[in-house]
Amino acid sequence: MAGPTISVRGVQLRADPAREACFKVVHLYSELWRTVDMSAESQREKLHREYNTEVQGMEIAAQSLAEFPDAPWDLRMEMARQCWDESRHARLYLQRLREKGGYKGEFPIANHEWTTTCVFETLVARLAIQNRTFESGSMDSMRKAIKVWNDAGDAETAEITDAILADEVQHVRYANQWINRLGREDPKVVLQVAATMARLRQMSAALRPQPGDISVNGVDLVATPHVSVRANVEDREHAEFSGAEITAVVKRQEAEEADRFAITRLERVR
Amino acid sequence: MGLTVKQRGQNVATFRFVEVRIMEILSAWVPTTPEMEAKLLLGAHIWDTAQAADALGKRTYELRLPLQHSLTPVVGYLELLDDLAAAEGAARRIAAFYDVVLPGLAARYRRYLAQTDALMDAPTVRVIERILETGIRMAREANELRAEMPALKLGDTEWLARLAERERNVAELVVEPEAAAA
Repeated sequence: MAGPTISVRGVQLRADPAREACFKVVHLYSELWRTVDMSAESQREKLHREYNTEVQGMEIAAQSLAEFPDAPWDLRMEMARQCWDESRHARLYLQRLREKGGYKGEFPIANHEWTTTCVFETLVARLAIQNRTFESGSMDSMRKAIKVWNDAGDAETAEITDAILADEVQHVRYANQWINRLGREDPKVVLQVAATMARLRQMSAALRPQPGDISVNGVDLVATPHVSVRANVEDREHAEFSGAEITAVVKRQEAEEADRFAITRLERVR
Repeated sequence: MGLTVKQRGQNVATFRFVEVRIMEILSAWVPTTPEMEAKLLLGAHIWDTAQAADALGKRTYELRLPLQHSLTPVVGYLELLDDLAAAEGAARRIAAFYDVVLPGLAARYRRYLAQTDALMDAPTVRVIERILETGIRMAREANELRAEMPALKLGDTEWLARLAERERNVAELVVEPEAAAA
């Protein structure tokens, strides 16, 4: 069922969705900009990246509507609504980008969410990856982003981010509801989701930055620590993750943070 | 004499088929249309067509048909929808949908309203009135985009005229009642 594919670092991915010639579409993190501050240029890059991410969210939901005509109607309605939501979000980010002097194609883009999600051939796998994994991760990072934009004195972008975050909760929630429901009806779905997540972890490991990878703006992608992002527990509860699932995410993030702290200490000692 | 309950059900279920098919066509176009503004226009209208299909599908249940029931339209219209789906390029896609199929479908809805009894079939009338209103907004949004981005205006008007003629040549969407019941 999946359409044309490409191979990146030996990983089979869905070929990119259509983009205008003004965009430079890349596949590796080292070909992208890596934002490490809130300079004017970095702010525009964040908005440009979010714009393309929202477009991908719309494209993934639309592709699933087109490719899975036998899905339950109520689930198709959720995906159709998501198309509208993501379309509005993309408009909001592009408008804000332009207000800050930016433009389409100003920075390279990668369609990681599309190329990863749409290579999977079942709807439940796509919901597990795009809605339940990528978008729930966005819920965490967007909560943090609201504070970052406010701290940078940009209350307007912070407000836009909060409005978008509220919409994203429903995209995660409907995926949780449908995966649980389909899993109750057919236990094979549970195994399918587990296999999907295992494959996703393998793909992510192969695609993540390697030692020595430098972003286009000169940032060492492995040595430079990521800003820590805490689980957005409140919105994860709204999105109907179970208590056990939320606890697991919090523990994993705490462990990652402890690892980063230990590495930083070690580097200081050296 | 207006339409019978059975005829109303057949019409509503056929309209539902068309709205679902349009939703799927717009959906398939979203990732394959490079122009971002066109992509976003189509993406937003997926939800409008889904809502139209959903409202019609709820009404089928009230007309002694299953919930969210669809009936395939006549072959000529099916072929038209297939050709719409196969349209390439943002300008051609936008023109085919917003200048031909959408107004053509609106005319068919209006003909239904003229045929049915506004009181007996008031729930269908309300559903269709809302769909017509939404269609006007969709067309306006497409026109605004084309005014803003002239590259999205179609130059090949002959192709569009042929498509419009084919749309007009399909007199009725509903397959003959006898055949539909078979």
